[in-house]
Amino acid sequence: MAVYKRAYRPYTGTLTPAWSRFLVLPRYAFSTLFRSRFLTSYFVLCFVPAIIAAGIIYLWNTPAARVLLGGPSDNNALSFAIDGRFFYYLLRGQSGMIFLLAAWVGPTLVAPDLANNALPLYLCRPFSRTEYVLGKMSVLVILLSSTTWVPDLLLYGLQAVLAGGNWFWTHGHIAYAIFVGSALWITIVSLLALAMSAWVKWRIAASALIVGIFFVAAGFGQAFNAVLRTYWGYLLNLTYLIKTVWEDLFDIPAVATVSRRGNIPWQDMDIPVGVAWITLLLLGFCCLLLLNRRLRAKEVVRG
Amino acid sequence: MMFAPSETSRSRPVIELDGLSVALGGRPILHDLTCALHGRCIGLLGPNGAGKSTLINTLLGFYPVSHGGARIFGRDIRTDLHVLRHRIGFMPENDSFIANMSGVQFVRYMAELSGLPPGQALERAHEAFFYVGLGEARYRKLGTYSLGMKQMAKLAQAIVHGPKLLFLDEPTNGLDPPARIRMLKLIRELRDTEGVHVMLSSHLLRDVEECCDEVFILKDGRVAAQTDLEAERRTNRRFLELETVGADEALVGAFEGLGCECAAFGHGRFKLVLPDGAEIRNLYRVAAEQNVQIRRMTYRRDSLEDIFLKAMESPSAIGARNGSL
Amino acid sequence: MTPLIESRYSEDQLIRFENVSKFYGDVLGVNRVNLQIAPGVTSLVGPNGAGKTTLMNLMTGLIVPTRGRVRVLGIPASDPERFFRVVGYCTQFDSFPRGVTGREFVYDSLRLHGLPHRQALDGADEAIERVNMTDAANRKVAGYSKGMRQRIRLAQAISHHPKVMVLDEPLNGLDPMARAESMALFQNLGAEGLHVIISSHILHEVDRISDQVIFLTSGYVVAEGQVHGVRDEVTDEPVQILVRCANANRVASRLFCEDHVVEARMHEDTRGVLIRTRDANRFYELLNRMVAEEGLEVEAVTPADDDVNSVYRYLIGSEGVNQ
Repeated sequence: MAVYKRAYRPYTGTLTPAWSRFLVLPRYAFSTLFRSRFLTSYFVLCFVPAIIAAGIIYLWNTPAARVLLGGPSDNNALSFAIDGRFFYYLLRGQSGMIFLLAAWVGPTLVAPDLANNALPLYLCRPFSRTEYVLGKMSVLVILLSSTTWVPDLLLYGLQAVLAGGNWFWTHGHIAYAIFVGSALWITIVSLLALAMSAWVKWRIAASALIVGIFFVAAGFGQAFNAVLRTYWGYLLNLTYLIKTVWEDLFDIPAVATVSRRGNIPWQDMDIPVGVAWITLLLLGFCCLLLLNRRLRAKEVVRG
Repeated sequence: MMFAPSETSRSRPVIELDGLSVALGGRPILHDLTCALHGRCIGLLGPNGAGKSTLINTLLGFYPVSHGGARIFGRDIRTDLHVLRHRIGFMPENDSFIANMSGVQFVRYMAELSGLPPGQALERAHEAFFYVGLGEARYRKLGTYSLGMKQMAKLAQAIVHGPKLLFLDEPTNGLDPPARIRMLKLIRELRDTEGVHVMLSSHLLRDVEECCDEVFILKDGRVAAQTDLEAERRTNRRFLELETVGADEALVGAFEGLGCECAAFGHGRFKLVLPDGAEIRNLYRVAAEQNVQIRRMTYRRDSLEDIFLKAMESPSAIGARNGSL
Repeated sequence: MTPLIESRYSEDQLIRFENVSKFYGDVLGVNRVNLQIAPGVTSLVGPNGAGKTTLMNLMTGLIVPTRGRVRVLGIPASDPERFFRVVGYCTQFDSFPRGVTGREFVYDSLRLHGLPHRQALDGADEAIERVNMTDAANRKVAGYSKGMRQRIRLAQAISHHPKVMVLDEPLNGLDPMARAESMALFQNLGAEGLHVIISSHILHEVDRISDQVIFLTSGYVVAEGQVHGVRDEVTDEPVQILVRCANANRVASRLFCEDHVVEARMHEDTRGVLIRTRDANRFYELLNRMVAEEGLEVEAVTPADDDVNSVYRYLIGSEGVNQ
């Protein structure tokens, strides 16, 4: 009879390539995330705007179907066109929903690691802080992308196919706008979610903080504007900033903001697009700084 | 209990410190540490604030080096850390876990982060749990584990990727006596595995004495002592501990009459230094004359305590000690 | 059982548990505990979750028993004025009010005990001095190392000169020198007539400083008394003694002739023999005689189970490791 002694043996097999290691994080994160039925349902819900838009595009391009539903058969009678503005509003709708998604998911990614001091165990391995952030970000990026520019670009393709001809050539900038606009919003929102959840260890508080900051900052901005009779307060308003960028990308004339105080109309006084870009990127950079500060293997207590 | 260190482990140092200095938050913590450690199991000792954790954290790459350098297995920690981390395992002192993962999931996760392919990671995770002795509990969430189980899970994640050097920081912290004995047994088994080295940091001198063959003592961020315990043990044959029943102070005098140095420790315990040529038989004879029953007679097990206390007294004496105490 | 303690000590020198049970809802804390604890150093030993902390909380009046009575030096917990004056508690939990310095922490505690400002300051200084924390007393507790936090908590527990000190794992995180100092402190306090109740997992330290030991497991007291005395009470098992000597087989055959020796087992390196005997006293007399008069050469004599470690093994075993 052979007796096998329990022994420790060193590992001599193959190792996975170093660059792909950060992908371990999204794999595990997704398996945990989609166990929650609430989250899965909400995630599916985020596809609804795209589905509705698909229906609208189809109806717009198919007079026969429109007539069946009792609508006009002449395209010129329709009050809107499938153009930049259409995709712009679609993106705006989606971006609101995914903001909430990120506010919920972000803290579940980082807070459990920090709550019980698991970070040293990550970092004592051939795994850097950069890979950690990249891994966590990729969870959010994948989630959010799959509900914004991926379906949107597919819709764009659908429209191009259905409309035929040179719709594609005259509206090429839309595809670019969809991708870049989504990417910017996704990056900012993901960084914000991760940074807040690294700062506040309690998961629910972090989610509340993310949403709260959004509204509170906007509120401050409005107050600032009203008091100082200016428009620079909008720098604190995330929605306003991203709107400005998107309007530029989708080539839509800016909607003039009119002050509601008194009867003093502002004449198209908006924050310039360049400034909006810079502010958003600066916000992202600040979030990275915060992450850098909080994600350490060991805290150094001064004094 | 005693074992001979293998020839190969003696030839190449495991950890070499070369004037290593580390400053944190503007305060210098480690000053100019220089030594070469060869042991199979290296004990890291020192009073609170001596810099033990700082040293371990620096060798793991968590803190930057201000001056000097260090090498593990001959590779510089400032440049080759990503390679070294494949070969290092770390068991931190504090609680360290992800509460909503099960034990197996967690260890498997850690294994994959160390570069193991997913299938292998799962196998090795289970092997690690089998080795540390956690059975069904491995499928429960880590947040529900007791303290002893958390310690075992920490050890499992430290060994799952098959490292050659293990850093164990207070591994028996909070464990009840049977769990402590098991942990020490595991540490000894790891130490005795070919090619594996352990660095054990602990405040419990008994633990270090049972497992380690070399100790490295820090004080105020400097080297206070570096000792080969094996050599110490071989030279300590003249120190005895006795436990008696029915003894009083007169026994001390009687032992001293034989030429021994003797100290009483209450509850019938004595410590003796035998002079050359003294025989144990005489001790028994003297005890019998006084109607004292000797119930325990063993060679000193506190040599490490002496080494440690002596290291604390002398102002940062550097150098190996192999002589008598 | 241990000799009647009642006869040696008066009521106001004992901590008494009379048929005490404590349940947290359905969960058992301790069940039917009967104890009389005399002055000196008493250690509580047992796995995590055995009821040590429950017992300590009962002793310090922080919880009331579900059934039974607890009297500390004759004073019930329902008389807080007197009770909390005599009892000092040092918990295992590492929490402090935010932003306090070491000195402030101890001072505040003394003020809560009703001392006026000047005396509280002096008392705080004295307690801090006793635990060797004078240098660091003015720094914030948040910046202390684990061992320093342990010591400042100890200072707070002893600052109001209690007669009963209850310490939950007081050596946790202390380096060897601080351990030795603390153990010496406990022994001194015990010698002064205080009750020092300590819970610890480090059995060789328990062995060294305790006058009495209480073994707990799963909410029951399974044994109490002096360690050597307890071993004698565990009569199901013969005592084991390891004798290391040169010609072990001759020694073994000689010892085996004795009628109280039930087993003589050779050690695998043939340089030792493990004896199991039903009568430790007669065995030691015989062995001592063999060495002194008959020239037997021994290297070491080690009772294999007369210390806290072994008694623990017998009484409590390895349960609780993987629960």
